[in-house]
Amino acid sequence: MLKVENLCKVFKNKKKHKAETVEAVRDVSFECSPGEIFGLLGPNGAGKTTTLRCISTLIKPTNGNVYIDSYNVLEDGKTIRSRIGFLTSDMKLDGFFTPDYMVDYFGALNKMRKENIQQRKEYLFNELQMNDFIHKKIDKLSTGMKQKTAIAISLIHDPEVIVFDEPTNGLDVITSKSVTDFLKKYAESGKTIVISTHMMNVAEKLCDRFGILVDGELKELGSLKEILDNNSSDSLEDVFFGYILPPAEGEVNHVQ
Amino acid sequence: MFSDSLIILKKELKRIFTDRRMVIMLVLVPLIMLPAMYSIMAKMGQARDSDIASFRSTICIYEGTGNEDVMGPFIDALSSFNTSLELVQLEELDAVKQAITDKEKELLLVMPDNFHESLASCSTFDIAIYFNSTADYSDYACNRVIEALTVLSEDIVRERILERDMSEEVLSVFTINEAPIQYDLAKKGSVVGKIISIILPFFIILYLLINSMNVGLDTVAGEKERGTLALILVNQVDRLSIVIGKMMSVMIAAIVGAASSVVGLIIASKYFMGMFGASGAAISSYSMSSIHILQFTIVVIPLAVLVASMVLIVSTYARNTKEGNGMMMPIYFVVMIVGMATMQTGDVPPKWMLSTPVFNSLLVLKDIFMQDAAWSTIIAASLSSVVLSAVFIYLTLKMFSKEKILFRI
Ligand SMILES: Nc1ncnc2c1ncn2[C@@H]1O[C@H](COP(=O)(O)OP(=O)(O)OP(=O)(O)O)[C@@H](O)[C@H]1O
Ligand SMILES: [Mg+2]
Repeated sequence: MLKVENLCKVFKNKKKHKAETVEAVRDVSFECSPGEIFGLLGPNGAGKTTTLRCISTLIKPTNGNVYIDSYNVLEDGKTIRSRIGFLTSDMKLDGFFTPDYMVDYFGALNKMRKENIQQRKEYLFNELQMNDFIHKKIDKLSTGMKQKTAIAISLIHDPEVIVFDEPTNGLDVITSKSVTDFLKKYAESGKTIVISTHMMNVAEKLCDRFGILVDGELKELGSLKEILDNNSSDSLEDVFFGYILPPAEGEVNHVQ
Repeated sequence: MFSDSLIILKKELKRIFTDRRMVIMLVLVPLIMLPAMYSIMAKMGQARDSDIASFRSTICIYEGTGNEDVMGPFIDALSSFNTSLELVQLEELDAVKQAITDKEKELLLVMPDNFHESLASCSTFDIAIYFNSTADYSDYACNRVIEALTVLSEDIVRERILERDMSEEVLSVFTINEAPIQYDLAKKGSVVGKIISIILPFFIILYLLINSMNVGLDTVAGEKERGTLALILVNQVDRLSIVIGKMMSVMIAAIVGAASSVVGLIIASKYFMGMFGASGAAISSYSMSSIHILQFTIVVIPLAVLVASMVLIVSTYARNTKEGNGMMMPIYFVVMIVGMATMQTGDVPPKWMLSTPVFNSLLVLKDIFMQDAAWSTIIAASLSSVVLSAVFIYLTLKMFSKEKILFRI
């Protein structure tokens, strides 16, 4: 069970002599149970990446906390990390190595034993259909193959929570589908998955529950049905645009 | 914790040492560059010496009026080495002087009018030799002509003495430097050694810097740029171990580069110098002994570590390699200027240079190439590099635990 509780993150930037503070995330709370895919939706700069970074212990919350079962990111960083697989799609793996080597390397970084790495590797390579290219240099791989490599790397230690920032960003329809299919299958095996995206169509198909994040604040939280009912709307996209676009003149609310 | 760093280190080293481009830079370049520079400089020095000696200089002579009958011995004396003689007229003198200034002709001898009378009456007369001290050939010819004329003068005096029935022994009061021993007490470093000592430290610091930038900027800034740093941070290996592992890989690369340049130096001084040994005495006297190579090693390894730690700070702070390269530019220029400055300093460098890291290492390297380095300055330079590296390494460790720096936007 992943639990984000009153998460706040403030960045202090020094720009041209005057200090500027950015409240990237403000009092965000949500939960995500095993077997569930939670989608964090928001426009650019909403604070999605910041939230996911807090969850994966890359940065410290200014306020609030994140729990996985009884562990929290403030005190049990190392344990949290052992239970999290973190992944972003704008990441480029060093093209010099092979997928096989990189997965080994990250297994070692997770303090796994050689036999365990081997077993897990075989499972993931089969599952992701990677066996044709695991000994080729990453440089020589297609975007989809690279994406699969990145997924294998972040899942090598069999984490129970997967945090995936913009999973389908920059992928074509086919690759994007293979990634989302994989995530679905993975969730069904009892894992907790949190993704961020600004693509409504992807989110609608993939996620069980949603949070709409705008300017660091969680505006909506719930299943598709709950959110649509709350807003008396019939598409998630309309709800989303309702928050980020100023209402057109004469329009009072979303009800037609 | 150390074993965690080893995981990182192993991967980083694999990255560096299985990349052909990097291996060429780190190992082959110094092995080839140093001997090549040596042989080029040695060849240049040699060519210059033999060129001057074999050059046929043009010497113009104005005989003066009424001297036709006594010029013979003078012409013979001047023809005793490689020259072409031209007799010139009074009205041509200015043109010839201009030609000497323009380095088109080498010398002009102006004999006084009717010096045959002085010759007959044993009174002194003056011969004017116009030359150009900025032209090597002219300078060389001038010395040879003075030598030849001195010999001629002695011959004439000898005749006069014999005519007067005196022993010619009165002619020689003393000789100078005739015993078969080494009179030149100059330090062993020759002209070639001097050129090498001026140029090599500059190349070495440049090489160390380029190496560290190649390896060090990618290792942190490159990972930030690719977004893979986050991936490494979300693991069981803590940040300190990560940065230590990365740091060690950059240091090892820097040391390998420096060590290759030591080996390059050994090859250069052992083999290439031998090749020239027979022909140029000045060059063969310049060869690094094992003690100088040891001194070089003591200075250059800490210097390499210092440069690497400097690059690592930048790499940790920069958001990407491009920004890192940009930030390195000022450092690059400072080091260039430092390198140039050490080329310029005379024999006694100012005190502040001797107590400034990098500066002092370069100065000491220069002395080592001149085979004239004091152990105290060697140790001082080496220690100052070590201390400053330690400070830089500490700063990098601190920076690595700051999310503000790792996730700077
Ligand atoms: N390390 C940082 N330092 C300073 N400000 C930051 C930092 N990271 C994020 N911010 C600011 O916090 C806000 C939220 O950024 P964040 O990257 O979380 O948004 P996002 O929802 O992921 O956007 P995108 O869709 O563009 O990825 C932005 O205003 C951003 O400028
Ligand atoms: Mg983002």
